Amino acid sequence: MSVPRLCAYACAAILASSVSYGLLRMPLQVHDSLDEIIAAQQSPGVWASFTSTIGETTYFRPLRIAETKLLFDLSGGHYFAAYKAFHIALLITAFALFVGALRVETRVDLAAALFALIIFTGLHTFLGLVKEGYPVNHFLQVVVLVLAAVRLSKARGSRWIDAAAIAAFIAACLTLESGLLVWVALAASRLSGRRGVSDPALVAMTGLLVAYGLVRFVWLAPHVQGMANASGYGFERLEGSQIRERFGAGLSRFNVYNVLASMATVLFSEPRSGVLVFFRGWSLGDVPPRMWINVVSSTITTAFIALAILSRGPRLGAPKPLRGEGGRSAETVDFVVFGAVLAASAIASYAYAKDEIMSVAGVFYALAAFWAVRDLMTRGLSAVPAVAVALALLVAGSGWAVRTVGVNHVLRAQAFAFHNDWAWIPEDMERRGTWPLDPSTRKIVIELRDQSIAMPIVNPWFVSRWADRVFDIDYF
Amino acid sequence: MDAGPNRFVRLLSICAAAPALAAVAVSAAIVIMGVTSDTPPFWRGGSLTLSEAAALHDQGELVRLIASGHDPNAVYPLRANVLAVRALTPLEAAVGARRPEMVDLLMRRGAAVDPNAWRRLHCFAMASGAADVVQMLDRFRPAGSETSCVGISTPF
Repeated sequence: MSVPRLCAYACAAILASSVSYGLLRMPLQVHDSLDEIIAAQQSPGVWASFTSTIGETTYFRPLRIAETKLLFDLSGGHYFAAYKAFHIALLITAFALFVGALRVETRVDLAAALFALIIFTGLHTFLGLVKEGYPVNHFLQVVVLVLAAVRLSKARGSRWIDAAAIAAFIAACLTLESGLLVWVALAASRLSGRRGVSDPALVAMTGLLVAYGLVRFVWLAPHVQGMANASGYGFERLEGSQIRERFGAGLSRFNVYNVLASMATVLFSEPRSGVLVFFRGWSLGDVPPRMWINVVSSTITTAFIALAILSRGPRLGAPKPLRGEGGRSAETVDFVVFGAVLAASAIASYAYAKDEIMSVAGVFYALAAFWAVRDLMTRGLSAVPAVAVALALLVAGSGWAVRTVGVNHVLRAQAFAFHNDWAWIPEDMERRGTWPLDPSTRKIVIELRDQSIAMPIVNPWFVSRWADRVFDIDYF
Repeated sequence: MDAGPNRFVRLLSICAAAPALAAVAVSAAIVIMGVTSDTPPFWRGGSLTLSEAAALHDQGELVRLIASGHDPNAVYPLRANVLAVRALTPLEAAVGARRPEMVDLLMRRGAAVDPNAWRRLHCFAMASGAADVVQMLDRFRPAGSETSCVGISTPF
């Protein structure tokens, strides 16, 4: 392994360690989490967990339920340790796969890779991969599977590669709806010339995709139509009932807004889950520094990417053989994959805008930024443009650096919120009628509560006031 | 004069890498501070008293302290800037900070009020203008409690 690549992995390891530390300081969350752990405890086995929710709910995520059960059984009573270890393992894998996706051979590559790394970590869509303290963070698992699939597409084709790609697709689809992005990324890679995954394998995956569509939109149609998620629109956040009341039940300009807002949130860090927080702040005469940092760093980076794509012009579609890329340059393929994943993720957000849904697109945005920055640095600029680009890199990079460090701030705030939620157990469960009757289940809930409550958590009152204005926050 | 097409590569590389290296350095510091200290990084407050936890909406810490043996009815010191006085009971601190949910939590976790104590808290909440705290206190009103605030002094 080259020295620059080694340095890139070392920096990624440090960033991953820092985020992992934040994860270890954060209790498991109560909402959308405790009920799943209880279900795992009461389930007779992993297969029973896998099949338990199929056809019963809006969602089709049986693998996630099965994994929760598997980790529960393997934990030997150390539930927090088991779930956190799995979360951290996924996080480290995501970092490793991301650096592995970068072509780092020279010092210039290393500089671009470091820039991309802080985009990967600092982009707000990354937050959903870590701040959600579920037993299994399905958003992160899908990111790992999509990155792994793209890695397979770059390999020398074989039956094992095909089998692994199909397995990744199946696992992703059974984990979360956005697991379909595995197919999108592989199809875009193949159309751009990567041949690691064969055509028959892609055809097989397409067949599975059709089957998935039938299950999701025919068999589970009544549940899907009953979905009533809240979402942002303009300056406000609307509940499901308000959305139906204002826009009706069918397709409307609200759906178009969601698609465009979802693309914009990756490219410009605005809006956030559909709400135009920057412009709302502007209209109120108070735009905190964190919003400037987010919007400016993203806009400059998006400009870099746009410049790199536009300046390639006709070359974007023209053959430029490079080793392992089957006829097109590696950056061209990654730009195409980024575009495909961004478009598909945005379309998948037509019903409601949620930043977490765009987390895979956020990863490929960072990958595209790597190529764009590398392209800018090696293009042989004259003095004035070079100084302008240097300043733009410094401004954007500084913004991304603040956003990267800010992930720890968000995790700390989230830890405080989760810590407080545990204080209301069992009263909250009694109020909701979910306090278990079985003494052994009650014992587990109380153990989880006591472990969570015993964790030392920073009270936000003791954190400097400027931190909330400079570092990102959990908006919704 | 021209050193070739790549004469600015070093400058551009430094500008791209420097902020990232700064972020990596801060991240490394967070990890080092975390593993070499008992308290998390950025923790500047030290331990909370039960009354401070009640005033600062720290429900988890409040439950932890009560579970570890702290009396929810005792008077505890408050550091400067938390509230306008330097010592209160947890219930007084919750009322003074206008936190009805903390009153609720304290009452569920062993805090007790007799009619006289309830009346003082009620008048304290009335004086602070916190209608939601007054409503919450009403849910725990002991039999025989008076609501008149004539002659009742409040902590601040």
